[in-house]
Amino acid sequence: MPGRILAIALNTFREAIRNRVLYLLLVFAAALILCAQAVSLMTVGSEDKIIKDFGLATIDIFGVLTSVLLGIGLVSREIERRTVYVLLAKPIHRAEFVLGKYFGLALTLLVNTAVMTAWFFGVLVAKGIADAGLARAIVLLFMQFLLITALAILFSCLSNPIVSCVLTLALYVVGHLLWSFDLLKARLTSVGARRLCTVLEAVLPDLSHFDVKGRAVHGLPVTACDMGFALGYLALYGTAVLLMACAAFQRREMQ
Amino acid sequence: MSAAAYRRPRRLPLLAAAVGLLAAAGLASAGAAAARQADERVAPLLYLPTGRYLKAAAMGFDAILADVLYLWSIQYYSNYRIEDRYRYLEHIYRDVITELDPRYIDPYLVGALIMTAEARQPEMALRLLDKGIEHNPADWILPFEAGYVCYNEIRDYARAARYFEIALRSPDVHPAVRRFHAEMYNRAGDPRTSLREWASIWETTGDPYVRAVAWNHVHDLRVEVDITTLREAIARFVAARGRRPARLEDLVAAGTIDALPADPDGGAYAYDPARGTVAYRGSRVLGR
Repeated sequence: MPGRILAIALNTFREAIRNRVLYLLLVFAAALILCAQAVSLMTVGSEDKIIKDFGLATIDIFGVLTSVLLGIGLVSREIERRTVYVLLAKPIHRAEFVLGKYFGLALTLLVNTAVMTAWFFGVLVAKGIADAGLARAIVLLFMQFLLITALAILFSCLSNPIVSCVLTLALYVVGHLLWSFDLLKARLTSVGARRLCTVLEAVLPDLSHFDVKGRAVHGLPVTACDMGFALGYLALYGTAVLLMACAAFQRREMQ
Repeated sequence: MSAAAYRRPRRLPLLAAAVGLLAAAGLASAGAAAARQADERVAPLLYLPTGRYLKAAAMGFDAILADVLYLWSIQYYSNYRIEDRYRYLEHIYRDVITELDPRYIDPYLVGALIMTAEARQPEMALRLLDKGIEHNPADWILPFEAGYVCYNEIRDYARAARYFEIALRSPDVHPAVRRFHAEMYNRAGDPRTSLREWASIWETTGDPYVRAVAWNHVHDLRVEVDITTLREAIARFVAARGRRPARLEDLVAAGTIDALPADPDGGAYAYDPARGTVAYRGSRVLGR
């Protein structure tokens, strides 16, 4: 089974790196990281913070866009083009197909993030402001991309690319706003509504675990405990989402 | 259709029309921008929500949003054409930029500078710096800046000394802060504490220049403190005996003072028994 997943993953990776969208995103990301240097000249005070903020935000935005734009079409496009029938006619389990697609995109994201990080650190080293804490922040961002990819694949198994895109981006937004449920609960008088908020808070993805950009830029410690917790959360939540994606694809009717 | 009858559409007029339309749009846009610039008012800032709401909208990009708003604020407050630009100054720096990224030091410093030097509102600057100190307790520059505002703008030296004391708790503090701290006590009317602080600097510094500066202060403060001590002792002596002491040594004999202080040159202070005044025989280094 791992061999079949690996074969699909490598094929997905090969397909993804032929996608022009990926290169367009990478070029934009590289340009933005370079632009940060020009923007930082307008500041009064430390230019370093602006260069680091711009770099991390660029990696975050373009990583998420790559996850969403490539992830939403992974399964649904195969069905649309009917290429999935060729694969499923072979002795391949549907779950293997979904997992192969996921790991293929994860590999693409790894390469994509590594390229952006190398470019970013190139700029930082040239300015003499490289910092290991920033690398930890990028590892956490990569974990976030993996979780978003899992969500994109789940929606891709359930719906068409446009709906998948909207739903994945909506969960990305909600995932960064979960802290506001506490504010909402404080204002709600109904016990039922407060319980619903608590349930939603637990069920929806909490992406704040992967966001330490501010801390890393300010030189505050990003501990092994933070990294371990985020990894554990990704393992639990990501696996749950992938299992749901596999279940959804297994039940999907192919015509 | 024959080949002769078919004529390819001519592209030149279309391109010329497109260029013309683009030029017209560009000119209209530039005109509108110039009109906007001539009519710049502070009103748009009214609609800038507080950092709490912007933080929610930023979705994890609050630090970069703070950067962008800070860069914008520098350009905005450098524009002297906007006459009422200081109206929302505190809102921009205290409620928006530093709310989005409370650990970003530069907006506190630049905001405080604009508030004191341009808007002439030092108390507003101190409120901003207090917020910065609260969120960045390990940083020395913010309490130093607050102390400097108290010293240079408000001339509240006791308050300045308290801020410099906060700055001194930071292990990375610049050595000059100790000198500011020591001097503030003198200006606040507490020469004894000031002398103690300057003497501590003189004893501990390894920098010959700082040591020389500290000695100048120690010298003059010691004269001031000694003369005050002797005057107080004379006053107590007069209150107890109903007459002035004939010599300063009488103060020790009467138990009014434990021992007579020597002046910084090792000599005795001059005493005029007729007028009951004490003076230093030498001259003060700083001439104050």
